[in-house]
Amino acid sequence: MSNPSASPRPFPEGQKFPSLMRGLKCRECGRIYDLDPVHVCDFCFGPLEVDYDYEAIGKVMSRATVAQGPNSLWRYKHLLPIAGEPTIGLHAGMTPLIRAERLGEVLGLKNLFIKNDTVNHPTLSFKDRVVSVAINRARELGFRTVACASTGNLANSVSAHAASAGMECYVFIPHDLEAGKVLGNLIYRPTVVSVRGNYDDVNRLCSEIGGEYPWAFVNINIRPYYAEGSKTMAFETAEQLGWKIPDQVVVPIASGSLLTKIWKGFQEFAQLGLVESHPGLRVNGAQAQGCSPVYQAFAAGRTQFVPVKPKTIAKSLAIGNPADGYYALDVIGKSRGQVEAASDPEIVAGMVLLAETEGIFAETAGGVTVACLKKLAEKGAIRPDELTVAYITGNGLKTMEALTGYLPEPVGIDPTLASFQKIVKPS
Amino acid sequence: MTKLRFHMTFPEERVKEPILYEISQKFRVVPNIRRADVSDRSGWVELELEGELPEIERTVQYLRQRGIHVDPLEKTILEG
Repeated sequence: MSNPSASPRPFPEGQKFPSLMRGLKCRECGRIYDLDPVHVCDFCFGPLEVDYDYEAIGKVMSRATVAQGPNSLWRYKHLLPIAGEPTIGLHAGMTPLIRAERLGEVLGLKNLFIKNDTVNHPTLSFKDRVVSVAINRARELGFRTVACASTGNLANSVSAHAASAGMECYVFIPHDLEAGKVLGNLIYRPTVVSVRGNYDDVNRLCSEIGGEYPWAFVNINIRPYYAEGSKTMAFETAEQLGWKIPDQVVVPIASGSLLTKIWKGFQEFAQLGLVESHPGLRVNGAQAQGCSPVYQAFAAGRTQFVPVKPKTIAKSLAIGNPADGYYALDVIGKSRGQVEAASDPEIVAGMVLLAETEGIFAETAGGVTVACLKKLAEKGAIRPDELTVAYITGNGLKTMEALTGYLPEPVGIDPTLASFQKIVKPS
Repeated sequence: MTKLRFHMTFPEERVKEPILYEISQKFRVVPNIRRADVSDRSGWVELELEGELPEIERTVQYLRQRGIHVDPLEKTILEG
């Protein structure tokens, strides 16, 4: 392990304020900040978000320029927060949008699509989108070291991208994390720091470290840039649907950022005239019952949520105090969407249903999405003919342990044809 | 002296109590509120605590014992 280091490097002359980004803007008070590694408004502590020059973007971005772009999320680079050309994570995004006829038949939905990020590159989850954007921006800002606190997908993606960029990488985990999950990170050779303490302790420590060291902490000081990568889920959906915004989307909620950015992505495409605006779009959220602060607030008709202690098999959604929970509730309210929550058995049933109807093996978060989609369809919140997209954000190979005891045993036979015919009774 | 930023959520049974006044009397810390939303059922406050680090740690410990949910300003950083 070497000492933490970074060399804040100024932009080359003329690139300090890249033309398509105007600055960072506070979501609460509207104050503008330079495009630096900062994430909170000094004045009101509101979160900062990238402020784009849409007029300038409209002059350089069109359906044609997108079509000529690479087969990755970088085809939308004009709406992503990097100043130059991307150099890392060049294959993230452009995952399949699958017409889910068999799943739709079960759920009574005739126009259902699955956005399948189980096959995202390089680490099989939607985090490859946000991390590829964050790492490119971190390099532009002169960082040599990248860090995150994660028990799963985020750590995988940060470690893999850092490895390919040749950057130093620190991953913070709670000391009692399962060995399998630790190994999945160690392969990329980051420095994995196991913190003796609970989740709250890891959180506190990371916040302090984020303020202490000149590192690109992807979901702290780089968060305004990192979060923008999620918009590409919406961009790709619209393009893959033939430049169209769907009627309904169902999005898993962890921090709430993905849901808000999918909404923002559709709004940006409409603002630029790349798609027709669709005020009827409903954005629905999906949470695990064991960690459902946004669902509980929605069900109680509140605009604020109360933090919870997560207890669910959907670990990738286990965020008890979601940074963007308030904004997710706001988007759901504005779009007249709904939030549903799924129990652990319902999550597994959702995973199985998706696998047996569409051949997609999703992680537990995918089970949450499918289970909540089912509930929304059953109660008529999604009508059969509506163009609906469900977002599947991670690969099932990452959460195999969740299926233990839920699936039937293999059929055991002797190595004879007679045994096969007697026991299996093939049709 | 250190300054650390926190998001604190107050449950219904604590909303009416002057807890921030209490910590400024009990500990050598200076709370500086930047944003808050308090109703009769719950409330949250975003603030900076200034003081020596061990004193801030003791303050946070005390608040947690009183049933206040204390997170860094960024809320949950540890992601799946």
